[in-house]
Amino acid sequence: MSRKKVLLVPLDPVHDVGLKMIRRGLDDAGHETILLPPDIPVHEIVQEIVKQRADTVLVSRTLGYGVAELLANFVDLLDVVGVRSRINLGIGGMAIRPELAAELGFDAGFGPGTTVEEALAFVEGREYVEASQKIVKNKKEMAEGYSYSYRHEGIQAKLNLIVDMILNWAANKTSPGVQRAAIREELWDVNRWRNYESMTDFYNEYKLYCDDLGKNYYEKGILHPKTRRFTKEEIISSEEYVRRTQEVIKIPKLQHNRTKPLVFNQYGTGCPFMDIGHIKVSEAWGADGVVHFDPSWGARSEGFLDGFLTHQEDGTVITPANLNRIKRALEKSTLWQVRAHRGLNTPETIVLAGKIGADLTKINIAYGCLGAGTDPARMTVDGIWAIRYAAKYNLPFDVVTNEELCGVPAYKAFAGMLITTALGIRLGGKPILQPLFCKSPEVMVGGQMKDNYVEFNAAKIMALRQIIDAPIWPGAPVGFLTQTEDRVQSSASTAFHASLAAMLGVDAVTIASSDEAYSGGPISVPSKIDTLRAVGEGFRFFGQTPLASTPQMEVWRDTIVSGIDSVLAKIVERDDFVQSLYEGILGNREDGAYPGRNGKDTVTTI
Amino acid sequence: MPKILDRIMDAIDFETFLVCNSDEEGRKLIVQLIKEWGFKDVDIVFSQHQGPGSRIRARAYVHRSGDVYGWLELGNEE
Repeated sequence: MSRKKVLLVPLDPVHDVGLKMIRRGLDDAGHETILLPPDIPVHEIVQEIVKQRADTVLVSRTLGYGVAELLANFVDLLDVVGVRSRINLGIGGMAIRPELAAELGFDAGFGPGTTVEEALAFVEGREYVEASQKIVKNKKEMAEGYSYSYRHEGIQAKLNLIVDMILNWAANKTSPGVQRAAIREELWDVNRWRNYESMTDFYNEYKLYCDDLGKNYYEKGILHPKTRRFTKEEIISSEEYVRRTQEVIKIPKLQHNRTKPLVFNQYGTGCPFMDIGHIKVSEAWGADGVVHFDPSWGARSEGFLDGFLTHQEDGTVITPANLNRIKRALEKSTLWQVRAHRGLNTPETIVLAGKIGADLTKINIAYGCLGAGTDPARMTVDGIWAIRYAAKYNLPFDVVTNEELCGVPAYKAFAGMLITTALGIRLGGKPILQPLFCKSPEVMVGGQMKDNYVEFNAAKIMALRQIIDAPIWPGAPVGFLTQTEDRVQSSASTAFHASLAAMLGVDAVTIASSDEAYSGGPISVPSKIDTLRAVGEGFRFFGQTPLASTPQMEVWRDTIVSGIDSVLAKIVERDDFVQSLYEGILGNREDGAYPGRNGKDTVTTI
Repeated sequence: MPKILDRIMDAIDFETFLVCNSDEEGRKLIVQLIKEWGFKDVDIVFSQHQGPGSRIRARAYVHRSGDVYGWLELGNEE
């Protein structure tokens, strides 16, 4: 590549910063550059171009008023003096659109957001390859590098006792959910199913453990009233849409100079096709992973339906066909979480997700009972098997603590999270701690966020790190109860919380859309882009800046740790984990936590 | 111009996500759409195209600076 002589011309009263940046890039690449001062009349600029015998002239223009006339005059003058044909002429700046530049006779026009690399490629006469095209994302294993060793001996000892207590209690117990999971595990072969081979053995056995919804479906073909099957034409069109999109999609990175946190967002419009549309957009705007949301009635039903089904309300129905279609639409780098944290299908969700190829799941016995409506005994039996299957299918699982949103104080929710985590470690799983970054009822009443949202959230992370070396994934989503229906406020709040997470060095965050607080209908895809862009901007703004600890954070950290320790001590003293859940040790009615009733009296002794 | 439009101080923005093949196509389509709705002074404020389509914000000016502003007449209404 030959060395070029480049004249840089700020055709503007004051603005030449962009050109200075480009000059630096050109100088670094070995080209000769001459930068003219701003606010020189057009005829003098043309004289300078003639005098300097430049190969390339790069003009910048920021102000929009009268730009077309000014630039047309400039190009005309270049023609008049006979230099236009021998120079490479480019223009950029806030006022420039590529189509305007082409109309006026420039060789190239660079609009807002042009990179130095792009200008360099133009000067050197080569094709510009966008930075985003060069990024190759790989799936990241979130638990990698964590030892799961405890740093707090007292809490470790209590957790070990509680895990023994739980496993002993559950050793001779089962439930319809556990039995369905076993049938799905033993008789449902994903490859045979994908090849449309007969699965009669499976269906005959499976329906025996379903409630009326499942039995009506498998015996009479009756669907849930809010669902319908897709038509063949819809399926063909969807496949074509996915194929076209996958051909052109580029995967950007949001984290700027950091390697983490990974950014997840949620989908669950009810319709797998709309979900796929949302997922492809999320991927194209930098999401590292997506989380499947199923309908709330799915948690109260015994058994899954089958078939490729759309749903008219929030939450996308878990069926093998729905999950399989969504899986096929994902980019190779996208992490896919299928939640199993609550409800009567918890262990089977994990078997299905594991067989179809999910990367992550979600389990928490305490939250499943206290915040999500499942009977504590049932949730405990099912939770244990869910963890066993998660270990078998190598699905790391976050241990969500959304009972905080009911009003359960963080230290109680964390005690429940740590119990499921300890159980996960004992059973060979890879649990991921999921504290909330939220404006919870606890802080609304207690005033911990009266001044800022930073210190109490940071104290939560510091507390967990003082107890155990484990991955941390704040969610879900970060900023819960801080967002309003206004998209600017909502996006900003999400970005601030995600940036806080980044500064605390956590492994991942789940973010909301800017529709987080809107409840009038499904969230829209622009609202997902809003927060992905905002979070990316937050990461860019803070870069690798760390967060300094404050005395208040340390006080709250210590309060949370001692609170967790005291809750665990009460469970050890009670010597019955399930009764502890019923009796409110991990969250009581005053806290807004109620032991769930779904699946009550369905646990049986083997 | 309908009276409600008169109450728009300067401009009305339309934001959406268009499934399209390029930034240029997205810009062209949104301008066409808004002109079909009867707006004449239309511009693109922001457009970002990625694989599936364009996140786009288009603007129709109802009152440019120096125009006769319809909302100044509101005080004269019965």
